[in-house]
Order: sequence, then C-alpha cells, then structure tokens
Amino acid sequence: MKTPATADVAVSQAAVDNANSADGTEFAPAEMQAARTKLAAAKRALAAKDYKAASDYANQAQADAKLAQAKAGSAKAQSVSATLQEDIRVLRNELDRTGTQ
Amino acid sequence: MKIRYTQVLLVGAVLVLSACTSSPKTTTLLEQVRADYARAQSNPKVATYAALEMQSATEALAKAEAAAKERESLETVDKLAYLTKQKIALANEVASRKSSESDIAGAAAIRDQVRLDQRTQEANQARLNAQEAERSAQAARDAAAAATQQKNIAQANEADAQRMAAEALAKNQQLEAQLSDLAAKKTERGLIITLGDVLFSVDQARLNADGVRMVQRLATVLQQNPNRVVLVEGFTDSTGSSQHNQDLSERRSMAVRDALLELGVARTQIAVRGYGEAYPAAPNDTATNRQLNRRVEIVLSDERGVVSAR
Repeated sequence: MKTPATADVAVSQAAVDNANSADGTEFAPAEMQAARTKLAAAKRALAAKDYKAASDYANQAQADAKLAQAKAGSAKAQSVSATLQEDIRVLRNELDRTGTQ
Repeated sequence: MKIRYTQVLLVGAVLVLSACTSSPKTTTLLEQVRADYARAQSNPKVATYAALEMQSATEALAKAEAAAKERESLETVDKLAYLTKQKIALANEVASRKSSESDIAGAAAIRDQVRLDQRTQEANQARLNAQEAERSAQAARDAAAAATQQKNIAQANEADAQRMAAEALAKNQQLEAQLSDLAAKKTERGLIITLGDVLFSVDQARLNADGVRMVQRLATVLQQNPNRVVLVEGFTDSTGSSQHNQDLSERRSMAVRDALLELGVARTQIAVRGYGEAYPAAPNDTATNRQLNRRVEIVLSDERGVVSAR
C-alpha cells in the first residue's frame, strides 16, 4: 500500500504544478484551491502512514487539478474565439463601409 | 392474537431487511453525478470532442455505482462519486476547449477570406480611381487641345480681320489717291467731284476729251468699289431761259451717266439729277463766276452706298 500512495501523491503534485503553469489559479481558483488543500491532506496522511487516505486525497487532488487546467484551457480558447469573431465583425463592417463608398 | 402480532412484526422486519439488501445504496452526490452524466452524454460536443474523457467518466461512474450496489460505506460511494463528478466536468471543459479551437480555426479562415476580400476591394477601388484619373487627364488634354484649336482659330480670324482691315485701308488709300486725281472735295454730303464747264463742249451736253478722261477715272473707282454709288447733279449759270438751263443741266448729268454706263459701270450705281440755274457756286455777275456755275457735280456715296440728297 505504501508505494502506490507515494506514487499517487507524486502524480497529484505534478498535476497541480501543471495546472498552475496553465493559469489554473487565474481561471479556476476554486478547483485550484481544492486541489492544493487535498494535496496537502494527502501529504499529511502519507506522513502519518495512512496510505489509504493519502491515496484517496491524492486522487481527488489530481481530479481537481486536471479540471482546473481544463477550465483554464477552455476559457482561453473561448477568449481567442471571441476575439477572432470580433475581428471578423470589424473587418466585415469595414468592408461594407468601403464597399458602399 | 399475540402470536399473530409477532408474526406480522417478523414478516415486516424481513421485508425491510430484504429491501435493504436488494436496492443499492445511493447518496445525494451520486444522484447529482448521475444527472451531470446524463447531461454530458446528451451534449454532442462532448461526444465529438471528449470521447476519451467521457470514457474515463463512464468507468468512474461504473465504479461508484458498483460501490453503491455493493453497499459500501457512504464515504466510499461519495469519494467515487466525487471523482466521477470531476471527470464529467473535465470532459465538458475539454469539449468546450476543442469546440472553441475548432471555431478558432474556422474563424481564422473566415478572417483571412474577409481580409482577402478587403484587399481585392482596395485593389478594385485603386483601379477605378486610376481609371477615373486617366479619364480626367484625358478630358483635360482634350480641353487643352480644344482651347489651342480655338486659339488658333481666333488667331486666324484676327489675322483675317487684320488682313481685311489692311486691304480695306489699302483700298481706301487707293480710292483717296484716285479721288485726289479727280480733285474730289470732302464736304458734309461726302466726296464731291466737280466736272467744270471746260470739260463740256460750249452749251452742249457732250463731254470733250478731258471730260471723258475724268469720267474714265471715275468709272475705274466705281468698278473697284461696287458698294459706292454716285449722284450726278447738273447745274448751269443764269444766262438763258430757265427751261433751257434745266434741260441742259439734265442732259449734261445724263451725258456723264451714259459715259459711265458705256464704260461698264452698273446702272444701279448711278443716279442723276438736273438743277438748272439753282444752287450757283458763285454769283452770276462775271464771266469767270458764270463759268464756275456751269458744272456737273458728282457726289460719291460712303462705303454703304448712302448718298444724302440736297
């Protein structure tokens, strides 16, 4: 039981780090907070040799972190998409205006 | 009665017990997750863009459902349900991101097309502008050419006018030179040429040789100036009857006219009038004065052919 829990905590730590790099803290603060809290709990459980709890917390932290990263990704993509749509709208207006001159 | 009551209680207890073992355990969170799952499954974007994540969520839900069916602790069921919930949310987010990315790819293509349209339009506009400028330039060149042509015409007209003025001047000068030979006098009625008595045979209407020469010069002037006409006026002195004098003045003026006609002058250029002894040029008291009164005066019209009568 010891080795899988240690591995789970390590994977969760990596997931939280990745999500943080992907601006998860900015775009999904609640999920990031949950992930960090659960990662800390997993580490405490690991230290207390409660491997079952450590593994559970680590799995939850990982799910939260992945969701945070995905939220950041979708928010950014939506923003870019909206910017493009706006660009197109402006360009079309310009085209119509110069076209009717 | 008492036994039957206990039996009923027992039957009830067994029913409750069997219900507990056969129906799976459920939690509020698990029910919420089932609803989330159903929504995600009916989302076509999730099916298109997050099949893998949805597969992971499906497996997680199966584990949670299995735990519930196996009547594991609420805590265990909720833990599995929570993981499922987050995986479903992940699938939704991934679907959203990929859908947006697909939109971005399409939008970029549209934007490029719109930009291309814009460039095309600008190019068309520039071409139209260039054509318009060329038309304007051509119009300006045409206008300049027309102006030059008009200027040339005006110059030609002016040259013509100058030439005609010069010709008219030359003609006038020639006329004046010819008239000075004829000893023409400038009067209010115009130029008057006097054919004196000495140019006629005595008391006759016939011109002598000198008179004919004078009339020839006058004929030349009239032929060269067809616009001018002459009024030939005959006069006598007071000697003799007034009827005789009237006849003589008329015959002498007509003699001049006939001579002009013979020399080729048009009849319309000549008018005649006899005044007899009227309008003497001098008192009829001496032979010299009487000779001055015996005369024919030829009034030359202006350029327009107008001659003022006495």
